Amino acid sequence: MTVSNPQGTTKIATYCYQCVAGPDLLKVKIEDGVATAIEPNFDAEDVHPAAGRVCVKAFGLVQKTYNPNRVLQPMKRTNPKKGRHEDPGFVPISWDEALDTIAAKLRGIRETGLLDASGYPRVAASFGGGGTPTAYMGTFPALLAAWGPVDMSFGSGQGVKCYHSEHLYGELWHRAFIVCPDTPRSKYILSFGSNIEASGGVCGVWRHAAARVEQGVKRVQIEPHLSVTGGCSAEWVPIKPKTDAACMHAMIHVMLFENARSRLDIDFLKHRTASPYLVAPNGFYLRDPDTRKPLVWDLKAGKAVVFDTPDIDPALDGDFIASGLEVLPDEELVTHEGVAVRSAFGKLLDHERSFTPEWAQGICDVPAATIRCVANEYLDHAEIGATIEIEGRTLPYRPVAVTLGKTVNNGWGGYDCCWARTLMACLVGALDVPGGTIGTAVRLNRPANDRQSSAKPGVDGFMDYPFNPTDKENWISRPQIRNANRTLVPLVANSAWSAALGPTHLAWMQQRHGFESFPEPTQPDVWFFYRTNPVISFWDTPQVAEAVAKFPFVVAFSYTRDETNHFADILLPDCTDLEGLQMLRIGGTKYVEQFWDHQGFALRQPAVPPQGETRDFTWISTELARRSGILDTYNKAINRGAAGVPLKGPNYDFSLQPDRAYGVEEIWDASCRAASAELTEGAEDHGLEWWKEHGFRTIEYPRLQWFLYPHLVDLGLRFEMPYQERISRIGEELGRRLHESGIDWWDRQLTEYRPLPEFHDFSHLIKHAVISNLGGRDEDFPFWLLTARSMQYSWGGNVSLQMVREVAANVKGHRGVIMNPTAARKLGIEDGDLVEVRSPLRETRGRVVLRQGIRPDTLLMVGQFDHWITPYAKDFDVPSMNALVPMLMDLTDATGSAADIVPVSIKRIGGAQ
Amino acid sequence: MTRYAMVVDLRRCVGCQTCTAACKHTNATPPGVQWRWVLDVEAGEFPDVTRTFVPVGCQHCDEPPCETVCPTTATKKRADGLVTIDYDLCIGCAYCSVACPYNARYKVTRDTPAYGQGKMPNETQRADPARIGVATKCTFCVDRIDYGHAHGLVPGVDPDATPACANACIASALTFGDIDDPDSKASRLLRENEHFRMHEELGTGPGFFYLWEKKQ
Repeated sequence: MTVSNPQGTTKIATYCYQCVAGPDLLKVKIEDGVATAIEPNFDAEDVHPAAGRVCVKAFGLVQKTYNPNRVLQPMKRTNPKKGRHEDPGFVPISWDEALDTIAAKLRGIRETGLLDASGYPRVAASFGGGGTPTAYMGTFPALLAAWGPVDMSFGSGQGVKCYHSEHLYGELWHRAFIVCPDTPRSKYILSFGSNIEASGGVCGVWRHAAARVEQGVKRVQIEPHLSVTGGCSAEWVPIKPKTDAACMHAMIHVMLFENARSRLDIDFLKHRTASPYLVAPNGFYLRDPDTRKPLVWDLKAGKAVVFDTPDIDPALDGDFIASGLEVLPDEELVTHEGVAVRSAFGKLLDHERSFTPEWAQGICDVPAATIRCVANEYLDHAEIGATIEIEGRTLPYRPVAVTLGKTVNNGWGGYDCCWARTLMACLVGALDVPGGTIGTAVRLNRPANDRQSSAKPGVDGFMDYPFNPTDKENWISRPQIRNANRTLVPLVANSAWSAALGPTHLAWMQQRHGFESFPEPTQPDVWFFYRTNPVISFWDTPQVAEAVAKFPFVVAFSYTRDETNHFADILLPDCTDLEGLQMLRIGGTKYVEQFWDHQGFALRQPAVPPQGETRDFTWISTELARRSGILDTYNKAINRGAAGVPLKGPNYDFSLQPDRAYGVEEIWDASCRAASAELTEGAEDHGLEWWKEHGFRTIEYPRLQWFLYPHLVDLGLRFEMPYQERISRIGEELGRRLHESGIDWWDRQLTEYRPLPEFHDFSHLIKHAVISNLGGRDEDFPFWLLTARSMQYSWGGNVSLQMVREVAANVKGHRGVIMNPTAARKLGIEDGDLVEVRSPLRETRGRVVLRQGIRPDTLLMVGQFDHWITPYAKDFDVPSMNALVPMLMDLTDATGSAADIVPVSIKRIGGAQ
Repeated sequence: MTRYAMVVDLRRCVGCQTCTAACKHTNATPPGVQWRWVLDVEAGEFPDVTRTFVPVGCQHCDEPPCETVCPTTATKKRADGLVTIDYDLCIGCAYCSVACPYNARYKVTRDTPAYGQGKMPNETQRADPARIGVATKCTFCVDRIDYGHAHGLVPGVDPDATPACANACIASALTFGDIDDPDSKASRLLRENEHFRMHEELGTGPGFFYLWEKKQ
């Protein structure tokens, strides 16, 4: 806490983690005990990557605290009927009644069994905002850990609103749950729909602004509408929706066939990728029979040798005659003697040969000349051979990067685009090196706070990856949770994040009808949710509402009434951002553009007293643990680090006694002391009061840790590009397991498991999937409906804040449907007209906002609105695309995601207001 | 001499409205009143379209039209370039609002809580009856500047002496400073970059400079 001028008021340090691009640090100005303003935390100017700034969302926190529409006391439902048009009849109850009611349910479950007859957890929980609720729910993660199996597979936007394919393939290829440019060193960025200026947070905006002005970086924005990011880019290329894969294939074609091979990073391809690995006749690597290591053709010796033989010159391209072993799916072995083999790079050449710019032009509506120009500019900027010194180590310097937006990343085509992006980096040696395309975080591999340590040696010279098993003995035939993530998606691994990264819509779809040869779908006995509103934020939102209405017991941690807690049985009002107490790990590299030179912890502390009867989340968690009889395991989970920092380390021990119910401040005081000790190897043990005064504490974080390349060099590992032998193998095995179990409804997803992505016109594929399932004619739905992130709202749960609404209105598109004026004129639509937008699923209404910066075949609805309960927001009268997008198996890709896009029609139904 | 001005780098601004929000907090402006805001400007026709974000507000002109028309001398130009309004003198005639070519002035005639159903504690705490029925506008956070001078701080350098919008900007697009001081960052930016001022042809001498390209 500091007393600062000019007004002589108190300023309290805390953090903002309302969006995945955080956390950022701020101060709250307090006058006479009232929070009146948010300010940057200039104490962190030299520590935080954006010099202690916070974005517009943080400025909503004062209104968030004092919003008169908050739920300020526990409530219970009195109307047992649940439905959109049923009044829940919420009445206030005491905390004791609320907690005892929940605890009784939980105790009952423990007595009956934690799993139901179908083998699914009886307790489920959903959280929104890409994991950010964890920064506000105190010790609740410890409660979940203490409980045992919890089904976290009911999604609230995961798979549609996130960067799903990137999360899974990014982690496989370069430990990059999130991929971004090395912005401070990049000179050329190809952005396929990545709206980084709206979704990259403070650090993203800060770094890209500096890159534009100080480095002169050229960013080319390829997207159907001119987003905020497009507006801030050097060039906008208005591509047809969901045809990015064609454009990227053509760029690769230009790089491979229209430029001298010397313009590529040959050394990187030969020694840091699997390009020289020989591919045997059945499509799997040719291997040494004794070691089973893949073979390469050594140009020096003129023969095939294992890839890690010292002092060889592996051939990048070519056809060879060689002998060896081929390992097919399910360990079927084929011995080859003197067969024709081709290098993986050669296979790539064969694959990309037909993808000319002229071919792509017809699919993605981008002129061939533009594709050529951009691909060649990418090569021009790659600086093959250049080096840079980072903390005394000389590394390759390749200042070119490729980024992908969420609708490019999601659903069909996501694999293709992620693969093409990663390949484009490999072709010029720009993968996870300074200036290039790098990763920020790991969520599926472990440890979660250190990308480098998570990259351990695996088979074939690649990093190990925790695939879910697909072999006969170990395949998880019976889903453990309702989205069947580990059964259907080998890539999703088995971390705490894996449930949310499975095909989360399957959990909702199963509530309507079960899938053949799968366990009987069941509802969770108890469903908790926090900082999420899936009845607004998922697809086919009326279907989600229908499913939630059938859940027998729903506990909603509630800020205001909303469309999902409309179906709840108990509302629990927790302390909000400026009222609660919590410690959070900060720094290192994480999420979108958070690359710090420091790491440590920050404290969220009560800047003002809790409003009404709201309670700190840690108090709620401890009480639930105590009342449901799991206090012992709850405290042990906190001791292990479930609340963010282990309380016992090599040089310290601040462990809690298992059998005691601790106060909120006691728990966080122990965490503060443990955090201090962890950062200083036991030298410091500052308690809560010190942290309240200082707000954060950091130590240095080595910049070399930003890049995976040096770590791979040290371990002698390669990036698993371009040929996807493992993907191909697990796909074949998964198919066999599913078919052996009588499951054929996942067959379409199995087609994605190819060693090199098989091209489809995904735009056509998606339209066909929607219409063939729901009916209608192609010509009835001539527009594509898309959405775009709003910096003012994304992930914030702040739709009920007046100030956010007011300032967001300055950014075009927050009040209606963006449409191209030429297309509008043809339909007799004028600016401000009331229109109906109809997909084959259903229709919605809104006002038209005419803008030139959008393709004539595209409509755009920014953000996610369409509220009908949430106070204030329910009066917006702004449409959302979410109700128009169907949940369909045919729209689901192999990773379990689908894209935020749907074919629609539009017609005028009223004049301007 | 001192001439305080705002230098806006249009290459940096992303239209996020963080400055808008920071201004609303610091100056406790009521709903609908934005002393600082950012325009979202589109130009051209598909597919040759540009989108630019342009922070605007009172330009603190050298020759403020609002001052000329003020019948009570409530609006005045300070020696350091700031255009101020004395709420005690202002009669709320709104001549200044009409005269301002930058649409920078506001007048509210009654207290309007954000949620229209009674004030929130922060609104009660910051309520200022002196601002009802009078002209208001961006002050360049004059209280911070004056505080800074009184305490040896440098406006544009020390956060406590710098307008809230410039402090809060997450793109470093807003730079406040003394353009008569050749060593200020604002002066350096003006020397190094091409720039323009809005409606300069009107002879107002705006104290708001827009950078758009590095000088060759």
